Amino acid sequence: MPLKALLMAGALALMGLALAQEGVDPREEAKRQKQLLLETAGILPTELIVEQGKDLFNRKGPSGKTMAECDFGLGKGVLEGAAARLPRYFLDTGKVEDLDSRIITCMTRVQGFKPAQVKRSEVVAVAFYIASHSTGKPIQVRLLFPEERALYALGEKLFYARSGARDVGCATCHVTYVGKRAGVLPYADVLGKDKSWTHWPAYRYSNDQIWTMQDRIRACYGNIAHPQPDLYSLPILALELFLAYSNNGAVVEEWPAFVR
Amino acid sequence: MKKALLTLLALSLLAWGLAQRYLQDPELERVKSGGKAYAEVFVSQRPDQALCSIHRNRLPADLLPKFLEEQRSLIKYPQNGKLMGDWKKGGAIFNNLQKANCFSCHFGSPVHLGGDVGPSLEKYGLKRGQSEAVQRYTYEVIYNAWAYFPCTVMYRFGAQGLLTPEEIADIVAYLLDPESDFNTKPAVGSK
Ligand code: HEC
Ligand code: HEC
Repeated sequence: MPLKALLMAGALALMGLALAQEGVDPREEAKRQKQLLLETAGILPTELIVEQGKDLFNRKGPSGKTMAECDFGLGKGVLEGAAARLPRYFLDTGKVEDLDSRIITCMTRVQGFKPAQVKRSEVVAVAFYIASHSTGKPIQVRLLFPEERALYALGEKLFYARSGARDVGCATCHVTYVGKRAGVLPYADVLGKDKSWTHWPAYRYSNDQIWTMQDRIRACYGNIAHPQPDLYSLPILALELFLAYSNNGAVVEEWPAFVR
Repeated sequence: MKKALLTLLALSLLAWGLAQRYLQDPELERVKSGGKAYAEVFVSQRPDQALCSIHRNRLPADLLPKFLEEQRSLIKYPQNGKLMGDWKKGGAIFNNLQKANCFSCHFGSPVHLGGDVGPSLEKYGLKRGQSEAVQRYTYEVIYNAWAYFPCTVMYRFGAQGLLTPEEIADIVAYLLDPESDFNTKPAVGSK
C-alpha cells in the first residue's frame, strides 16, 4: 500500500500534465507519460500489479494448491503465450472462458475458494501477471467448438446492435466514426488497424485504474448510460471473442499495457 | 367474422414482430446472463433499432421512405406551438454532460471545447437565420435525428424521452437566437 501512495503522487502529477496535452497523439502521449512515471517513481504501476499477481498466483488456496496447478489452455502451469490464445472453449468446464473467467475457474475449482471469496482486484492482478507472459506473442484465437462459434456470432451481433434510450451501438463509434472524438480520445478502430485487443489488460494512467477488457467493454456501455452487462457474463465473453478474433495475428506489444 | 379478422390481424402483427427481431431466442437466453437491466434493453429492442442493427446502420433504399415516415410520426411539438423557447435554459441543457451532452459531438459551444463526431454548429443561428423552416428543421433534428439521418449516432432526444418538447425548444433558441451566447460569444477552440 505505501507503494500505492507513492504512485498516486506520481499519477496526480501526471494527470495535470495529461489534461494540458489535448490534441496530441494518445499512443505517443502514453509512451511519454510512462517514461515520466518510470523516472519519478522508479517503477511502473503495471510492474507492481504484475508482482502482486505473481504472489497471488503462488499463494496456496484452501485445497493447498497454487495456481500453477491450473490449465490456462496450453497445459497445467504453462503461462507462456497462454493469454494470447484466450478466450477459448475449455473441455473441463464446458464453457468458453477468457482470462478473467479462467482465473476464477482456477481459484474455485482447483484452489478451493468459494465463489464469494474471489475478489475482483485479485482476479485483475493475476490477469496482469499471466498476460505478462504473452508480450511479443501474436493473438491466436480459434472458432473450433460450436460454443465458440455461437458466442462469436452473438458477439458480432451485439457489436452491431443499437439499443437503449441512446440507441447505443459499438459499431456506430468504433466503425462509422473512427478517428472522430467526443472527448479527449478519438474512437479507435477496434476491429482493424488499432489492434485494440492487444491493449488490454492495461493500467490507465489518467484515472489510476487497472482494467481488463471486461472493464473496458463495461465502461463503453456505462459512459453513455446504457445498462452494463455483469462481469464474467456471456455477452461480455461474446464481444471479447468477436474482438479478439478480429485482431488475430496482431502481435502484443506489451502486456499489461499502459494507456491513457 | 369479426373475431376471425381480429385473429388474422393479431397473427400478422405477430409475424411482423418476428420479422423485425434482431436477437433470436437462444441469443436472448445468453444475453440474460448479463443481468436483468442489460437483458431488458435487448428484449424490448424497438423495431426501428432492430432494423438499423440488421442493416448495420445503412438501410437499403427501398426501406427508407417507410422508415423516415415512421420516424417523422414520432415527433411531437410544444403545447404552446413555439419552436423557440428560452435560450438561457437551452444553453444549460446543451452544455450539460449528463443532460444532452450536445457539445461532446458538436463544435461551437462558448462554454466547452466541442468534439467532431457531428458537424460544427459554430454560429449556427447567424449562418442559417431564424426562418420558420430553419426552426422546424432544427427542432425536428433534435427531437428525432433518425427522421433526417436514419440510424445516425445522434440520440433521438425527444423520441426517446431524454428531453421534453419544451426543453428542445429552449435548445433551438440557444442555437438560433441572434442574442444567444452561442451566436454572440466565440466558440471554445475557434481560431
Ligand atoms: C459513444 C461512443 C462509443 C461506443 C458506443 C462504444 N465505445 Fe468503445 N470506446 C469509446 C471511447 C471514447 C474509447 C476510448 C478511446 C479509444 O481508445 O477508442 C473506447 C475504447 C474502446 C476499446 C479500447 C480501444 C483501444 O484501442 O484500447 C474497446 C475494445 C472498445 N471501446 C470496445 C467497445 C465495445 C465492444 C462497444 C460496444 C459494447 C463500445 N466500445 C462502444 C467510445 C465508444
Ligand atoms: C453522439 C453524438 C451526437 C450528439 C450527442 C449530438 N449530436 Fe447532433 N449530430 C450528430 C451527427 C453525427 C450529426 C450529423 C448526422 C449524420 O450525418 O448522421 C448531427 C446533426 C445535428 C444537426 C444538424 C446539423 C446540420 O448541419 O444540419 C443539429 C442541428 C444537431 N445535430 C444538434 C444537436 C444538438 C442540439 C444536440 C444536443 C441536444 C446534439 N446535436 C447532440 C451527432 C451528435
